[in-house]
Amino acid sequence: MRISGGVGRRAVLAGAGALAAAVGFPGIVRAQSKSLKVGVYGGYFKDSFDKHVFPEFTKATGIAVESVAEPTGEAWLVQLEQAARARQAPADVSMMSQVAILKGMAADLWAPFDLAKLPNAAKVKPHLINKYPDGRVAGVGAVSWYITLVTNTKAYPQAPASWAALWDPANKDKLGLLALVSNSFLLEVTAATFFGGTKHLDTEQGQLDCFKKLAELKSNVKLWYRDEAQFEAALKSGEIPMGQYYHDVTGLAAADGHPVRSTFPKEGGITDSGSWAVTKASKAGDLAHVFVDYMCQPSIQALLSRKVGTAPTIDRAATDLTDKEFASVSSDLAPIIPRYDLYQSKSDWLNQKWTEMIVG
Amino acid sequence: MIRRAPRSLAEHAPILFPALMLIVFFVIPFSLMIAVSVARRVPGGFYEPDFVFANYERFLTAFFGGVLAFSLELAGLVAVLAVGVAFPFTYRLARLPRAAQVRWLVFLLSILSLSEVIIGFAWSTLLSRTAGITNLFVALGLMAEAQSLTPSFGALLAGMVYQAFPYTVLVLYPALARLDPSLVEAARTLGSSPVRAFFTVVVPALRSTIVATLIMAFVFALGSYLLPQLLGRPQHWTLSVLITDQAIYQSNMPFAAAMAVFLVLVSLALVALALLAGRRKEEA
Amino acid sequence: MSALVLDGLTKRYGSFVAVHGASLRIPHGRFVCLLGPSGCGKTTLLRMIAGLEEPSGGRLSIDDRDITDTPAHKREFGMVFQSLALFPHLTAGENIAYPLRIRGASSAEQRRRAGELLELVRLPGAADRPVSKLSGGQRQRVAIARALALEPKLFLLDEPLSALDAKLREAMQIELKQLQRRLGVTTIVVTHDQREAMTMADMVVVMSQGRIHQAAPPMEVYRRPADAFVADFIGLTNLLDGAVAAPGVVAVPGGTLALPDLPPQGRVLLSIRPEDVLLRPTGEAGPNRLHGTLSFVRDLGASVEFRVDVAGTEIIALARPQDRPAVEPGGAVTVELPASACVVLPPGGERPS
Repeated sequence: MRISGGVGRRAVLAGAGALAAAVGFPGIVRAQSKSLKVGVYGGYFKDSFDKHVFPEFTKATGIAVESVAEPTGEAWLVQLEQAARARQAPADVSMMSQVAILKGMAADLWAPFDLAKLPNAAKVKPHLINKYPDGRVAGVGAVSWYITLVTNTKAYPQAPASWAALWDPANKDKLGLLALVSNSFLLEVTAATFFGGTKHLDTEQGQLDCFKKLAELKSNVKLWYRDEAQFEAALKSGEIPMGQYYHDVTGLAAADGHPVRSTFPKEGGITDSGSWAVTKASKAGDLAHVFVDYMCQPSIQALLSRKVGTAPTIDRAATDLTDKEFASVSSDLAPIIPRYDLYQSKSDWLNQKWTEMIVG
Repeated sequence: MIRRAPRSLAEHAPILFPALMLIVFFVIPFSLMIAVSVARRVPGGFYEPDFVFANYERFLTAFFGGVLAFSLELAGLVAVLAVGVAFPFTYRLARLPRAAQVRWLVFLLSILSLSEVIIGFAWSTLLSRTAGITNLFVALGLMAEAQSLTPSFGALLAGMVYQAFPYTVLVLYPALARLDPSLVEAARTLGSSPVRAFFTVVVPALRSTIVATLIMAFVFALGSYLLPQLLGRPQHWTLSVLITDQAIYQSNMPFAAAMAVFLVLVSLALVALALLAGRRKEEA
Repeated sequence: MSALVLDGLTKRYGSFVAVHGASLRIPHGRFVCLLGPSGCGKTTLLRMIAGLEEPSGGRLSIDDRDITDTPAHKREFGMVFQSLALFPHLTAGENIAYPLRIRGASSAEQRRRAGELLELVRLPGAADRPVSKLSGGQRQRVAIARALALEPKLFLLDEPLSALDAKLREAMQIELKQLQRRLGVTTIVVTHDQREAMTMADMVVVMSQGRIHQAAPPMEVYRRPADAFVADFIGLTNLLDGAVAAPGVVAVPGGTLALPDLPPQGRVLLSIRPEDVLLRPTGEAGPNRLHGTLSFVRDLGASVEFRVDVAGTEIIALARPQDRPAVEPGGAVTVELPASACVVLPPGGERPS
């Protein structure tokens, strides 16, 4: 499961652990003088970070990390907000989805970062730095990944070149697309493919244009999925031979010998990301800066690409990733960047329109 | 036998526990849900305590009305099919030798251990083009080419009936096992064929059990939110799916709560209506 | 004359034989009781006749028509079940009209006939009452009326009165007998109560362990039991082991008896009812007298029971209170076993436990 929220196999197992951690025994680890509580999406991400990243960080800085599994959806944001009111911090630093960062900003939840203490953050791509309206930095890019156009190689010997393939009448009843407006980012795809870019979504008319265009591909969709595993299995078997899916996972499946491929369409893949943010209730701000700065280092970003499968948040040139390694997690094509601002300001309206569009 | 009203706490004790359970597991959660349903949604954030009906207003549209109607129809159809299949099945089951009954019941109990997700995946595989049952038909020469039968309304119905079936059997079983076998024999000596005896005696004699089981299966099906996603197309998504979307993905607790309250009230009303109709007929 | 004929009807459950080659001829209009201890196969036999159990062997015919393979719903026999099996969802009248409804009778016809039958079983006006609101006796009557609704060729009842209390049961026995006499329908009742059988039946069929021991009118079964089982099961009897000592003379414990119908030699079993045993003044000479000691006396109201120890064998005698001899327990007493009252039976054989 990814940042945008939803119940996926990576997240389901984590719920119980997160609850235990949230109400757990903070005193025990706190006894150590230099320790930091870090919230990471439960399941796959937490397991990978616990294994490959946090031990390296402790070795390098002497700061112990107590990792906390974050529950699904926005429950973690709710917990952080409620805890902050009681001046408690279930985690000092948390990996948050872009929409959650925006919502936290609206509630003034995040303690601003001091960029002077984050020299490595200067390399982070600008769109992965979250800023309050007054310019204070609320979040710094932690991980990012791509959602691309995926196909079954047996059903499609030729890789499609454009997202427009989703609209091709020849693909009737062949697509698997994500079921929610806020995790499929298909409005952005539509705007980028047919209306010259995501700026077209600035106006309500532009949004309606995209909905109208999207409605045209409905008959091509066999499955609107919430559960990744269902689509992944169908893609591998050829039951549903085309759709949108995660670039890295598709690459792993192809490497395992499954007849699948991930294509970056000429309009670009959809990039989604998680950011590090510090709750204002945290008393470990300095250690949090050390941690975030550490995570922004090119060597650590390369480590994440190799071990966790995420795309670097910094320019690839700064890393030592080979072409092959880079291609397995990212692309040099300009990405389609989701309009997270819309999902914060107009989420109910967009959600209603979306549901009516696909259900109606 | 004590025939006076209980006075001391100790005498009240037998009902205290169920009362407490009812309060803890129904009254309190439902009250909280009602409270949340009238809270004010903070766009882009969460909700604040308030007393507004905006969430209910948003629900009262043709769109949600259609989804609600579909959910009720689907649940009703699932209940009727599940009971329609389970009742004759259980009738036969209750007449098998003891050892065979135990084997069947253990088998059915093991189906209960399957989660909705597993059932959904199993059926979507079973009905798929690449690995599904149509391949068997092709092999048997009944079909020219393997077809995908999912997602579709039929697939959804099959999955939901499959899921409700063991519960239905287990609810029907005690009543059917207790049924005096001489009722059917009496009907036979009075001129009814076995099939006729089943419909003129067994079914009407157990009408209240059947109604109770229908209600159980209906409520059970109404709460299903994973199978419609796994086996249905978007037009087959039930209100429970939309509630889940709102609660988990949109963080719109007040709206989710309002829909849930509405769903609970509508199903309670339908259940009451069914019971009332049953009683009316009994009195007639 | 035509009749119901059972020809070697057998029912096996695995290795267990519930009914062992039952053969019987029941003429029209008879009231037959299948009598025996529980587990003797009488209910299984009745269910085979009804068509509810498939015979493992043998044939069944009525009016010379073989019905062994005719399903129950085509036999047109009426049956009253032990549990009564009234349909709980129907009223008394609807229960009775059920077989008419199945045959497609109009609802007016159904109501008329149900009313008639309720009159017949003396339950007028109960048509609209739900069966759950009826007393035990009333349910009984509804069950009987329902079984008779189609004027069946055969009226079968499986322990129909066992759920009633003693007084009501007696009254129903008499009523059932009168009803049967009035309708003239051939009737077979299963019962384990010999008094019930004696009260109602024209023919008593005594069964034990899946076999028919005797089928005869009640008084014959009582007076002339076919074997030790029947003698002992029906009423109270004295059974004496004897050996033929000379032509027409049998040696029994404590003396000899002169009897007709004795086999030329060998062992025999004698049965004599307590009411047939006569008490004589001590020492009085005469035929068929045995001398013993009075071991026990008890008043039963209408009669007095004496238990006499004759050479280690107990003989029970019933006397009218006025005939009571002036002997105290422990005193010497003489009993007479009249030759006409003694039944000579084959030796050994099964006896009721």
